[in-house]
Amino acid sequence: MSIEDIFQSILQLKRGEIADLVQAEIDAKTDVGAILEQGLINAMGEVGNQFSEGRLFVPEMLRAAETMKIGLEVLRPLLVEADIKPRGTVIVGTVKGDLHDIGKNLVGMMLEGAGFTVVDLGVDVDPKAFLDAAGENRAQLVAMSALLTTTMPVMADCVGRFKEANLGARLIVGGAPVNQDFAIKISADGYSSDAPGAVELAKNLVPA
Amino acid sequence: MRVQCQILSEDEKHRVHAESLKILEQVGVKFLSQRALKIMQDNGAKVDQDAGIAKIPAEMVEQALKTAPKSFVLGGRDPARDVALPRPTTGYVLDLGGVFTRDFKTGERRYATLQDNNDAMRVFDEMELSSVVWPHSMVEGDTPNSNAIRLILHSFMNSSLHVQDEFGEPEEVPYIYEAMAAILGSEDAVKERKLYSVTYCTLAPLVHEGGMCNAYLDMIEFEAPILIYPMPCTGSTGPCSLFSNISMGNAEALSSLVLFQMAHPGTPLIFGDASGSTDFASGGFLEGSPEMVLMTAARGEMARFYGLPNTQQGCQTDAKEPGPQAVMEKLLTTMPLVLSGADLVQGPGCLETSGLLCLEQIVVDEEIGGLCNRMREGIDFDDARNLFDDIAEVGPSGHFLMQDSTLEACRSDEFYTPKLFDRHTFERWVDLGRSDTYSKARERVEEILATPQKNPLPDDVIGKLDEIMRRADEELK
Ligand code: B12
Repeated sequence: MSIEDIFQSILQLKRGEIADLVQAEIDAKTDVGAILEQGLINAMGEVGNQFSEGRLFVPEMLRAAETMKIGLEVLRPLLVEADIKPRGTVIVGTVKGDLHDIGKNLVGMMLEGAGFTVVDLGVDVDPKAFLDAAGENRAQLVAMSALLTTTMPVMADCVGRFKEANLGARLIVGGAPVNQDFAIKISADGYSSDAPGAVELAKNLVPA
Repeated sequence: MRVQCQILSEDEKHRVHAESLKILEQVGVKFLSQRALKIMQDNGAKVDQDAGIAKIPAEMVEQALKTAPKSFVLGGRDPARDVALPRPTTGYVLDLGGVFTRDFKTGERRYATLQDNNDAMRVFDEMELSSVVWPHSMVEGDTPNSNAIRLILHSFMNSSLHVQDEFGEPEEVPYIYEAMAAILGSEDAVKERKLYSVTYCTLAPLVHEGGMCNAYLDMIEFEAPILIYPMPCTGSTGPCSLFSNISMGNAEALSSLVLFQMAHPGTPLIFGDASGSTDFASGGFLEGSPEMVLMTAARGEMARFYGLPNTQQGCQTDAKEPGPQAVMEKLLTTMPLVLSGADLVQGPGCLETSGLLCLEQIVVDEEIGGLCNRMREGIDFDDARNLFDDIAEVGPSGHFLMQDSTLEACRSDEFYTPKLFDRHTFERWVDLGRSDTYSKARERVEEILATPQKNPLPDDVIGKLDEIMRRADEELK
């Protein structure tokens, strides 16, 4: 048994094995921070790399993330005890008037895999709900998705309100009709055209 | 005989139908609109109010199939370009659903403008196989709330074809109807001529939107035809088998059919499909794949199984720029639809999964459509085409170039004359500047845009439309 086995169980999508593997490491008194970092998070980092390179398919990536989460659940009480905080909290959602969620879900899953706590507000989320959730969860990052030209302006509205409220959360935007120019124009803190890029952005904007 | 390709056997059609009924009865469909839910309940669906789910019995589907019209006409702004459904040959729908345009001069990918919309309409208007136009999508502009109206009215001004749109807000309806009355010269003619129809997408899996659904119920009395357009994506928003994705898309379409027929029996509906397949590497929605067209063609066969007019997604590509991938995917995703007898194919004009308008692609797609339509006509075995007498006259050796029949046939439909292909000798081709398909298409675009519009609206009507748009800008601020 080793942290390497935990790492491998995620890469090999072994949903049924990971809980026991993590428990065995805990029982062996391995440092919980090491299990988290080297076992769980590094594995998802590798998953992210393989996905970016097109070697891993989405259903596989999702199963890996699910496997990681099962491991994380076993570890969670000890993390709280050891006062190890998650990397940061991200609010994700598709903006008001927009019901497209495939891309948003992928972004959320990948962020979770990268060690962020993700609060998913779902679709058709109005700016106030983003604001409230960011406040309540003391989120460091808000990731908004829009797939329609008619709902893109909601993102601008959101950015405005966050700046006004001065919550300190950074805002990133994405979705097929959004591009870098638009993100700059509405003063968002970042844009990416895909989910691995969203993770990169999050890591840069919310340093560990 | 005409070439007929068959995607589903009779037995398979019955199985798709049976699966669809099973989905509607056992799983049900969710309605985010209370109004829609009530209509379903009042007409016999088993409704779970808390979940918003209606389980729809087979009798409701049968009833709806009885009242849905089997044929109707999509009026063209120019009556010569009316589209009577069903059609004996496939017509094409300009796909401007996207947000981006590939700039004709620079090749740069940028947000679409009103001018792009108008240029695309002008180019598509000159294509022989064109039937219907979808307006382009603009990101902003100074008057975002009246954008949709502006795009629709400009589409009427720049195109002589039927306009079909994704309907946005109920507030827009009066302006659009006033514009049609201005074009047609009377309010009564609006309902009669049907210059405008709307697209209704269900939210896969098995959901009907709230606001959008209400808006469609609001305007149903105008009897504008509705294109029912489910887009389940096998592997993401749809189950990961073609069989089940087709069945679920068909169930979504039948649930829309039931809703609109119960709300207003006799509403003209086009039984369409825009299914996609998943790019497993990215989660992306694919429109240029063989699986996509197998599904939309199968759903087209289901439409004919029910005797309903249809529009299927095809002539699509996931390529980011003009080139071999675009041409291969578009040909692949057009041919099966045409050969199986689709009424309308929606797709020409776009690259990048319906996201990027490209003017020269409109001309290339016309060629693809022409080739496919020619294939569909097959081999003519009419006695008039039996040229035994010529064979006897020319006899062994000799040639047929001087025969009357050859002279007559060389410009007939039996021999398709491509507009963009090069068939010269190598040397001639070099002399002529080594043209390729796209360079010829670009020349054609330049030519069309450089000549005045062939069939403009009269000045006084344009004045009225301008006035309506001005008012919309004011009132919808
Ligand atoms: C599937 C789909 C649907 C499905 C959505 C199902 C679902 N559960 O999400 C259904 C059928 C329900 C649907 C409905 C509609 N749709 Co739709 N839909 C699409 C389609 C084909 C694919 C979208 C998709 O899922 N892509 C796959 C995912 C993985 O990609 P993605 O969302 O872009 O996300 C990636 C990146 O953008 C990025 N990303 C996404 N979010 C974020 C956020 C952040 C912070 C970051 C950094 C990155 C990021 O990462 C993701 C992963 O790599 C697009 C066309 C297209 N090619 O985009 C049209 C499209 C977006 N739809 C369109 C339209 C018009 C509609 C409807 C209005 C149709 C109608 N009349 O009913 C309705 C609107 C419903 C509503 N109110 O939202 C148009 C929009 C045009 C416009 N003017 O804006 C499009 C472009 C199609 C077209 N050409 O006409 N649609």
